[in-house]
Formats: sequence, C-alpha cells, structure tokens
Amino acid sequence: MNGVDVHSAQSQDAQAPDTQWPRWEIFKQDTAGKVHQAVGSVHATDPDHALLTARSVFARRPAAVSLWAVREQDIFSVTREELENGQTLPGHSGEVQSYRIFGKKTHKRSMTFVDELGMLEAACPQAALEAARSQFGDELLAWWVIPVSAFVGSPEDAETVESWFAPAKDKTYKQQSAYGVVGKHVSERNPRVKHD
Amino acid sequence: MTATLKTQAAETAEQHAAFEARIVRGEKIEPGDWMPAEYRRQLIRMISQHAHSEVVGMLPEGEWISRAPSLRRKLILMAKVQDEAGHGQYLYHAAETLGAAREELVDALLSGKAKYSSIFNYPTESWADVGMIGWLVDGAAIKNQTMLAGCSYGPYSRAMVRICSEETFHHKQGKEMIVQYAQGTPEQRALAQDALTRWWWPSVMMLGPHDKDSTNSGVMSNWGIKTKSNDQVRQEYLNEHVPELLELGLTLPDADLHQDADGNWIHGPINWDEFWAVVKGQMGLNKERLATRNAAHDDGAWVREAMLAYGERQRAQAAD
Repeated sequence: MNGVDVHSAQSQDAQAPDTQWPRWEIFKQDTAGKVHQAVGSVHATDPDHALLTARSVFARRPAAVSLWAVREQDIFSVTREELENGQTLPGHSGEVQSYRIFGKKTHKRSMTFVDELGMLEAACPQAALEAARSQFGDELLAWWVIPVSAFVGSPEDAETVESWFAPAKDKTYKQQSAYGVVGKHVSERNPRVKHD
Repeated sequence: MTATLKTQAAETAEQHAAFEARIVRGEKIEPGDWMPAEYRRQLIRMISQHAHSEVVGMLPEGEWISRAPSLRRKLILMAKVQDEAGHGQYLYHAAETLGAAREELVDALLSGKAKYSSIFNYPTESWADVGMIGWLVDGAAIKNQTMLAGCSYGPYSRAMVRICSEETFHHKQGKEMIVQYAQGTPEQRALAQDALTRWWWPSVMMLGPHDKDSTNSGVMSNWGIKTKSNDQVRQEYLNEHVPELLELGLTLPDADLHQDADGNWIHGPINWDEFWAVVKGQMGLNKERLATRNAAHDDGAWVREAMLAYGERQRAQAAD
C-alpha cells in the first residue's frame, strides 16, 4: 500500500465542514482483459478499508476481478465544457512521473463514468492531459488524470480474487436472471402508456 | 465542498440557453459542468430523499430476516436488504458530486429533518409482506427509477442504471413468492390477499401527487431530471401489475378500478390525506423507523472509532 498522507490532505480541506472519513473514487474491472472503470466513491479511513467497502458497495454483482481506489484530491478532472472555457489542470512542472488517463466517450446510459485509456509519462497533470488529448482523441466528454503512485489495488493473487469476487456471480439467488418471468409477460398484452 | 453551493454568481440568460440546449441534445451534465443553482438544488433535494428512502427501506423488511421460512428465502432477503444499503451509498455519492456533504445528509435523516418515501412508514405485519413489497413497492420504484436512469445528470443516471438492474431481482423474487402463495394452501392464499389489501394503495400513492398537484414538475421536466410525470409513471405501474394480480385470482381493494377504452387501468380516488399524514409522520411508523435508524447508527459508533484508530496506527507505522 502506498503511504497516502491523510492528515495533510485533511488540513488542506480545512474550510470544509466535512469531518467524515476521506472520500475515495473506486475503479472496477469486470473481467481480466477489460479496462478499469470509475463506478463511484466510498468514504474510508485507510486503503484497505476503502477497498473492502468498495467490494461491498460496487462488486456485489454482476462480476469483478479487480478494484482500484484513489483519494479524491489525487484526481485531476476536467470536462469538455471546462476545456472549452479555457480551464487547465495544475501545470507546475515537477519530476516526470507516470499518469493513468481515464476518459468518458459517450452520453449513452451506463453504470460507469470514465474508462481507463492508458498510461503516459509527464512532468505535470496539464502536460499529461495535453499528451492524452493528442494520444487518445480530443472528442472525449470528460478526462481524469491520476498519478500512478496514488492508486491502491485489491490483492491480485488468485485465491484472494476468488474469495473477494466469486460470490458476485456464484450466489445465483441474487441474480435477476435466476428468476424466470413469472406469469404472462406484460408486454404481450398490455397497452402502451401514451406519453404526450 | 459547500463553497460550490455558495458560488451562485448571477446566472446569465446565455448560460441558461447553452445549458438547456445541452439538455435538448440529450447530453449528460457532469460534475464540473455549468448548471443553474436551481438545477443543483433540486437534484440534491431529490437524490438525498431517494438515498434516505433506500436506507430506511432496509427496516420494514429487515425485521423479517430472522423469521424467514427457509434458508433460501433468508439468503434472498439478506441480499435484498444489503442491496438497499448499497443503493443508499450510490445515491449519497451522486449527491456528493453536486457539493453536498454525506455527513450533513445523514445527519438530516437521523434528526428527522429530511424526508423519505412514505411507503416505509407502513408496518410489515406478515411474512407475505416481504413478497408483496418486492412485487408492488419495488415494482413501482423500478418504473420511477427506469425513468430517472434517463435523467440529464450523469452521476444520478448512472446510480439509477445500477439500481434498476438490482431492483429487478427484488421485483422478481417478490413476484415469485406471491405467485407461489396465491396458488398455495388456503392459508398462504389468505396471507397473500391480506398483504395485497394493505400494500395496494400505499404502492399507488408512493409515485407521488397527481400532476395537477405536483409543485416541482415543470422545472424538473424542462431540465430533463424527470422525463415522465407522476401520473404517467403510475399508469405504467398499474398497467403492468393490475392484470397480473387479477390473473392470480387476488382482489384489489379498489371498487372503482377499471380499464378505459385504450386499455389503461384506471384507479379510483386516492386518499391523499393519508398520504400526507404518513409523509409528515402523523400516521404510521415514522418515529419508530427513525429510532431504529438512530439506534443502529449509535450502536455502530465503536466500529467507526476502531476503524479510525486502526487507520491512524497504519499511517503512523508507515511513517516510522
């Protein structure tokens, strides 16, 4: 686990009345080979707590193999509208480090927000964003730029993956697909409601 | 975080026009995008009420976990109640993206300041209520939530897509149970009928006041938050559920219920005095629900303190 300094982060937010635990954004990978996607956030006292809470909240079903968590203040986010209005990300050049880039591609209904697009090296979040825009396309609707060092992840050994995530698909009684359509289905005979 | 709420610089007509054009184009509004302060306010109001309803929604059914008639039913009910807790969390998260603090929202629920769905102030008197709640209450909720899954605010829409998928399990397990009881022994059949008689009207009411009496509906629909009216959603609910309940030979407690020329099921007059009395806590179990929620919160205090102490020790050890 990396050494995220929770206390200094909290003092930066000193003006906020929020005395609750820090907020972590959660990324879920559904199956091996797929990218991680932002699914929502949890409040937690430490990285392990964040990941365990994330498992209960976001991986009850249908399937997952890996979770990542990142403290909210480690995420640099910008929407297309903000970019059009000239907003930039922090640009103080520092040491070159690796960033993970996430983006949102469509307005379609979805359970997830931004998808992992890839990694790149840059000296600051703004430089990472500019590189990402040329590398991954300029038409995305929202961007998240996150230093790789800010991520904590669920254990990757097969046994832990099994014990964390198998119940999501093995407990068939909590899958809607385990229940046949009971009775005649409505669409066969019921009128469409007029929406005018 | 609340700084975002206070930043209500004058909104220009130009900003409003650009925002409404985005809604018309079917674009999702995301955290960071410009939005009218009133859009933000309405969403926080609605999403937090929705979150509170999920949290309180655990209570009427949770009472029956220890009394489930079989292991299968117990597992199903535990999974369902756990889902409701998760739904509360998804929704508090969505409200947080608008600048609300989860802690403040939770405090508003615990102190009784916040509203939640009136349906959860009705008592669960028999085991069959668990099935009837799944079929009717979750059935009505899915109609509303499917509509909200198409709403213009990205985080709310995404929470709804996830919730609808899980609520479909709740709906189906309830329907399966009631179908079984309605076709079972006379005693099971009587239980199913009794549960239907008590839950029918509350489920019809929970979709909210008639359109003509609904104060927020204009702005909510113009900004793509609600894309159907209360009465439209109620009609969808009736058209799906009435024929299926009748097909089981159950009796709906509405002498005026009939089908119109278009095939829509039309209900008789709704007792709105009861609805508002339950919303305001003058009728039903509002006090008991809040007492239970507060007791659970207080009982969990030592766990929260231990988590915090553990987290601090981990950080101290990492720093050494």
